[in-house]
Amino acid sequence: MNRFELLGLLQPTLKKNLVICNIGLPSQELYRINDQPNYFYMLGSMGLASSIGLGLSLSINKDVISIDGDGSILMNMNTLATIGNRAPPNYTLLIIDNESYGSTGDQKTFTSEKTSLKDVAIGAGCEKVIQCTGDQTLENLNKALADKVYSYVIISKIKSGNVPVKPIPLNAITIRDRFRKSIGLVPYL
Amino acid sequence: MKISQKIISNLKNGGANFFLSVPCKLLANMIATLEADNEIYYSAIPREEEGMGICAGAYLGNKLPCIMMQNTGIGNSINSIVSLLQLYQMPVVFLISYRGTPGEPVGAQGGMASITEEILDTLRIPILHCNTEKDLEKISIFTNHAKVIEGPVAILCNFNLMKED
Repeated sequence: MNRFELLGLLQPTLKKNLVICNIGLPSQELYRINDQPNYFYMLGSMGLASSIGLGLSLSINKDVISIDGDGSILMNMNTLATIGNRAPPNYTLLIIDNESYGSTGDQKTFTSEKTSLKDVAIGAGCEKVIQCTGDQTLENLNKALADKVYSYVIISKIKSGNVPVKPIPLNAITIRDRFRKSIGLVPYL
Repeated sequence: MKISQKIISNLKNGGANFFLSVPCKLLANMIATLEADNEIYYSAIPREEEGMGICAGAYLGNKLPCIMMQNTGIGNSINSIVSLLQLYQMPVVFLISYRGTPGEPVGAQGGMASITEEILDTLRIPILHCNTEKDLEKISIFTNHAKVIEGPVAILCNFNLMKED
């Protein structure tokens, strides 16, 4: 299973929740599969999908799912310590670990060698850490959302590989405003 | 403690209600004050760039976030400021202890101090300089200004001001 197939399988759950999606092909594939206003697509700032979702989950009483990648987690690994110590139960971090930098040509990451993001997450203080195959991911994501006591980190180990997709034809303000509207927020000022 | 209490009070009056910090000894009293404040969210975090991401999420959830850090933290955060906060037009208040300004005992802080304002100017981030206690009165309206312009603003607190805290 590759990322495109996994994101397709997860739609029944993702489409009903607030999703912060990692920059590059993850966002472009998610847009292509099933664009939703409650999907926040990152157009920059690689590494921060986990952090944006954390900030949102600390600010509202709704479930928030951050979809991140192994390369992005490696770029902002301190985020696991912050999540381990501060994440509320309505926050779920889904790391799609294909052991490669998919958006830049599938160069291998350190998770293809010695690094275990599961062990890092546990060591960083995350209490509920699940590593699973692509096929088991939807079930585990639903389990994480159903648990109102703990926040979860799910590491979905899948194959490398991408589907040819175009850049997202939405500008940042459109993504921002329709996402905030989907939360039901009144205008900010 | 009076300066840090004035700063926090003015930030809150301006609407800030979600606080993060990467520590600085000049921010220590402010951090202690925030830790004891039940009206707002506060957490320490390990790195400023990560904080920009958390602030972006807090804004999406309708908070007005404030991140407290040394000026060195701006250097750690430039891409996240431009490609996240400014790209999506997200208000965030940077409360910055301006290390390397006169009174600073650590010579090595001079390097980042010498380019801090140029970096902020290059980023087109409005700056409020706080040099005296009187300047702190402007913090409230400047905090609200972040909401009005839908982008980050920076409050620079000089070393000599903060050491009187």
